[in-house]
Amino acid sequence: MALPLKYNLANVFIRWRSTSATILGVALVVAVYVLVQALAAGLEKSSQNTGDPRNVMVVRKGSTAESSSQVTREQFKLIPHLPQVAKDETGQPLVSADVVVLINLPRKDLVSEANVMLRGISPLGRFLRPQVKLAAGRWFEPGKREVVVAQKLANRFANFELGDIIKSGNKHLTVVGWIDGANSAFDSEIWMDADEARSVFDRENYSSVLVRIANPAQQAAFSARIEADKRLPLTALAETSYYSNQTMAAQPIKILGNFLATMMSIGAIFAAMNTMYASVGARTREVGTLRVLGYRRRSILIGFLVEGTVLALIGGVIGCLLSLKLQGYSASTVSLETFGESVFQFRITAALAMKGLLFSALVGLTGSFLPALRASRLPIIDALKSL
Amino acid sequence: MNIGTFVVKNAFRNRRRAALSILSVAASLFLFVTLLVALREITIPPETVGAATRIVVRSRISLANLLPARQRSVIEKIPGVEAVSPFSWFGGKYQDETHMTFAQFAVDPEKFDIIFTEGKTSPDQMAAFKADRTACIVGKLTANRYHLKIGDRISLASTVYPCTLELKVAAFYSGTIDDRNMMFHDKYLDEAASAKGWIGTWWVKTKSIEDMPRVIAAINKAFANSSAEVRAETERAFQLNFVSMWGNIKILVHSLCSVVVFTLLLVSASTMSMAIRERFRELAVLKALGFRRRELFGFILAESFGLAALGGLFGIGGAWLLYTYGSITAMTDGIFVSFEVTPRIMGQAAAIAAGLGIAASIAPSISVARMSVVTGLKTLD
Repeated sequence: MALPLKYNLANVFIRWRSTSATILGVALVVAVYVLVQALAAGLEKSSQNTGDPRNVMVVRKGSTAESSSQVTREQFKLIPHLPQVAKDETGQPLVSADVVVLINLPRKDLVSEANVMLRGISPLGRFLRPQVKLAAGRWFEPGKREVVVAQKLANRFANFELGDIIKSGNKHLTVVGWIDGANSAFDSEIWMDADEARSVFDRENYSSVLVRIANPAQQAAFSARIEADKRLPLTALAETSYYSNQTMAAQPIKILGNFLATMMSIGAIFAAMNTMYASVGARTREVGTLRVLGYRRRSILIGFLVEGTVLALIGGVIGCLLSLKLQGYSASTVSLETFGESVFQFRITAALAMKGLLFSALVGLTGSFLPALRASRLPIIDALKSL
Repeated sequence: MNIGTFVVKNAFRNRRRAALSILSVAASLFLFVTLLVALREITIPPETVGAATRIVVRSRISLANLLPARQRSVIEKIPGVEAVSPFSWFGGKYQDETHMTFAQFAVDPEKFDIIFTEGKTSPDQMAAFKADRTACIVGKLTANRYHLKIGDRISLASTVYPCTLELKVAAFYSGTIDDRNMMFHDKYLDEAASAKGWIGTWWVKTKSIEDMPRVIAAINKAFANSSAEVRAETERAFQLNFVSMWGNIKILVHSLCSVVVFTLLLVSASTMSMAIRERFRELAVLKALGFRRRELFGFILAESFGLAALGGLFGIGGAWLLYTYGSITAMTDGIFVSFEVTPRIMGQAAAIAAGLGIAASIAPSISVARMSVVTGLKTLD
């Protein structure tokens, strides 16, 4: 015969004085766990959000990031004529030769500085990246020292308002627009005309070439063609897979999250254990009475396990609700691939919240196991005699 | 039985709870110390003696921008400069590794040992390194990790330059803050990568500390309004730039850590007050026997403080032992290197333990003061 659930549930609330600290403790532990994992998830998501499945990116063989890749002008000239390359309505090949430059800029506080990725794109470059929309102002004009900056960077760096002038050494660039990259890696970039960028930053070569391949089946053929060409020490890969591999920065955060979770769960288990021991100790006589009424040892054991788990789960729910406050909050850190500032959002997914709840239930279950065992093994007569 | 043994006996009467309380305090303080040490290592790079006379020169645009090699002779002519060496990030992947596992730099082997005086190596090995254009000098930690021996040939595929270098291990060094790096001849890189004429950064050693501000200003001025403007700064300032790059994730992690510590302390405090609350009846008996409030407070405080102190001892001492005598480099796969548990951090943690001991005794003390002997004797819980 199972113990009525109501009995154990009621106990959680009646003994609120000793249970509330434990509930709050578990809540904060779960909130921290969910938030740290949400940070890592957000960082990964911003990479995975980036790119168009129809695009292929061409970089130098052996380079892991665009910023360390080089494509010479001679190499670039060969690419638009390859048969797989898609063309726009006027017959122009949909190709963009990009040049990326990392520039060191002052943050809004004017004290600290960080690196930002500046991307020079060919005139067709923005049509190859339809996920990037103009949020304010206008697009830059080719041949002018004008830039558009990611809106998400605008409140992080100095001189990013429309009309402001960004200074990098003795080079001056005017901000004419804000772009919105729909939570992609482009939300951390500055864009301008590629050839203008090459002249401003003294770059002989491009960094990468982005190509639209109309027919997805032909992407492999295009890659093979690039690989096989002896004149091109280049390699071609899907734009989406290039970006989804850029998640190294999430790794240390995940390690931190797991470390915190492990250490905290130890503390939380001790707390749950103490609370449950106290709860069992105070109800010795009740347990004796229940046994006399005919409840089996097993029912008592399960009853107390349920009580401990419910206690921790309440904490888990509160913790998840607490962490939701930071949903979508934008944060920034350095990308370990490009060494540029990378802006991303906290992403609390349903799966993460479930993990948090599961985590709290485990804490409750582990913490209440020994006390529940003790309760189930109380000798009836002694239990009834106790005060 | 005197009062001391009374308190001790009381504290450990319920051994299980005493152990749980001590362990939860220990776990939280261990975590607290670990987080503080980690944050300290990320935000305050360790200072080295030689850094006081070293200047780092990088492109004004950003560290990732290369500088023309011709700048060297200009810098060398500045009065107060003792030695100049290029220091170019190679970004090589060792053998078959998928990621870069240690940093490599192309340097001028003749000037390198003048500029970096901290690293210890044998004169023979240093001479061998200088003599062979394909030689490299490897930090002890990296050498141990890959079981390198003198004379080994290794290959590094650069993610920055379009080349793979074959290098011969000629020397090992140790004694710097981070014994993981590898240095090799810049001339070898020039040839292999056909990158002649461009370098990453200049590292400059000045003759004395007094020369530093003047030399920094002179270098900045020398290339102002040129096509390759530079930023010269002290090694310290250069390192602190990296800290700023972490962005607001640093603050986020910091606040998360505070929450963690607060949580665990809250839980520990509640546990300890629970222990005392359970003994209400006995305290009532003591009251009836004629013990005064002051003495009862003393009992409660001594017990709570004692448990917290023991927890602190285990937590802080455990962290200190683990990070001082264990290899943090091996534990974190090279993310952290020094992980020094400073006296300051231990002091902070000890202060928290003491505060916790006092705070946990407040609530029970108030209840004890308020209770009448009769209600106390009647208490069941």
